[in-house]
Amino acid sequence: MNLSLESYLPYLLMGFYRTVLLTAGGLALGFVIGASLAFAEIYLPRPANNVATAIEQILRGIPLIVIFFLIYFGLPYAGIILSPGMAAALGLGLRSGGYQSQIFRGSLESIGVGQVEAALSIGMNKSSAYREVLLPQAIRLSIPAWSNEFTVVLKDTSMAYAIGVAELLKQAANIVSLTLQPLEIYLVVAAIYFVATLVVSRTMNVAYERWKIPGLGGGAS
Amino acid sequence: MTDYLLRVEDVYKKFGSKDILKGASLNMSKGETKVIIGPSGAGKSTLLRCINLLVKPDSGRIFLGDEEITGKHVNLSHIRSEIGFVFQHFNLFMHLSALENVRLGLVKVKKMRNEEAESKATRALRDVGIQDELFGHYPAQLSGGQQQRVAIARATAMEPKIILLDEPTSALDPELIGEVLRVMEQLAQSRTTMLAVTHEIGFAKNVADEIIFMDNGAVLETGPPTQLLSNPKEERTRRFLGKITELYGVSRTEK
Repeated sequence: MNLSLESYLPYLLMGFYRTVLLTAGGLALGFVIGASLAFAEIYLPRPANNVATAIEQILRGIPLIVIFFLIYFGLPYAGIILSPGMAAALGLGLRSGGYQSQIFRGSLESIGVGQVEAALSIGMNKSSAYREVLLPQAIRLSIPAWSNEFTVVLKDTSMAYAIGVAELLKQAANIVSLTLQPLEIYLVVAAIYFVATLVVSRTMNVAYERWKIPGLGGGAS
Repeated sequence: MTDYLLRVEDVYKKFGSKDILKGASLNMSKGETKVIIGPSGAGKSTLLRCINLLVKPDSGRIFLGDEEITGKHVNLSHIRSEIGFVFQHFNLFMHLSALENVRLGLVKVKKMRNEEAESKATRALRDVGIQDELFGHYPAQLSGGQQQRVAIARATAMEPKIILLDEPTSALDPELIGEVLRVMEQLAQSRTTMLAVTHEIGFAKNVADEIIFMDNGAVLETGPPTQLLSNPKEERTRRFLGKITELYGVSRTEK
C-alpha cells in the first residue's frame, strides 16, 4: 500500500502536537527543578547543597530511556501509576532539570557576589537585590545554553516512543508498519524535527540579541 | 562624645580560625576625610565592610551618630542606605545603563518618583564628570575610570552620611587613576565625610585630615598626613612607608 504525503501527514502532525506538549511539559518541569537545584547548590548551607549536587548528578548520569522505564514500568510496583504521556513528561522534566540546574548555576556564579553587595550597600534588601540585579542577568546569560537544552528536549521526546506515547516518531512507525515506506516517512519525520529545532534556535537567538547586555559576551549559537 | 559621626569601638572579626580584626577602633567627625593605609592582610577592607554591615563584627560596637548600628533590631537596609560604599572593582549593575545604575537605589530604596530620581541621578553623574552622552552606556562599554566614577555617583546620589571607599583606584590602569582621585578630592572639598582605604599617598597627603595606619587587625598609629608620613612614631609604620615609597616613588614636594 502506497500512501501519499497528504494522506499521512495529518497523522504525523497529530503526533507532532504531542511532541510539542511533551517538550513544553518537560522544559517547564525542568525549569522548576533546575532553578531550585541551582539555588540550593549555591545558597543553601551544607549538607543541603551537597544533596542538591548529588540529585543533579544522578539526573544527568542516567540515560533518559532508563528514567522512562523506571517511571513507567517500575513505579507501578511502588503504587504509582502514570499514563505514558505523564511518565514521559516527568522523565523529560527530571533529566532536563539536572541539565538546567547546571545552566542556571553557571549563570548565577558568573555574576558573582560583588553586584549583590553593591545592591545591599545602597540599602536594597536581599530579595530586592536578587530580583533587580541577579535574576535579570542570570536569565539573560542563560539564554544561549537554555536554547540548546530546548532543542535537546524537543528531539529526545522521540524516546517516549519506547513507552508507547503516540508522539511524532511513534505515529510515523505506525504508518510505516502499514505502508512500508520507511525511507520516505522517516525523511519527513526528520524534516519536521529539523525545522522545529531550527525555529527554536532562531527564535531563541532573536531573544538573546534583543535582551543581551550591551558590551558583554558574544552571540548565541 | 556624641559629636562624632562615626565611632568604631574595639571591633573583632574572625574568619574561620583566622583573626582579621583584633580590636580596631576609630572616630570620624562630620566633614572629615580619613585615609587608612597598611599592609595587605591588616584588616583594612574588613573594617570598612564591618562599618556598612556587609560583614558582621564578632564583637565591638559601631555607632553612626547616636545610633549603635551593631545593636540588635537594627534596620540593616536603612543603615546601609546611609553609608555609601565604593568598591575596588566598581561592582556596577552590568545590565543597567550608567543612569539606571544611579537611579535604581533612588527608586527602590528612597522611593522617589521616576522623574525626580532621573534628575537626581543626572546631577550626581554630572558631578562626577560623566558626560550626558554616556548616560545610556552600559558598564561594559565604559572605561574603568568612568565605571568607578559612576559607582561614586551611585553612592553619593543616596546622600549618605558617610562614604567608605575600599581601594577605589587599585583596579584601574595608571592613566585612569587621576580622574577618580579628582572626584574624591572634590568630595572632600565639599565636606563629604569620607573614609578611604588607599595607597595613593599623594591623595592622602593633600586631601586627608588624618591618616590611619592599620597593622595586624588593629589601628597602630594615627596622625595628620604631614606628621605621620614624614615622622611616624612607630617603627612598623616607618618600615611600611619605606616600602610604599620604594614602590610609588617619592612625591616631588618631599625631595
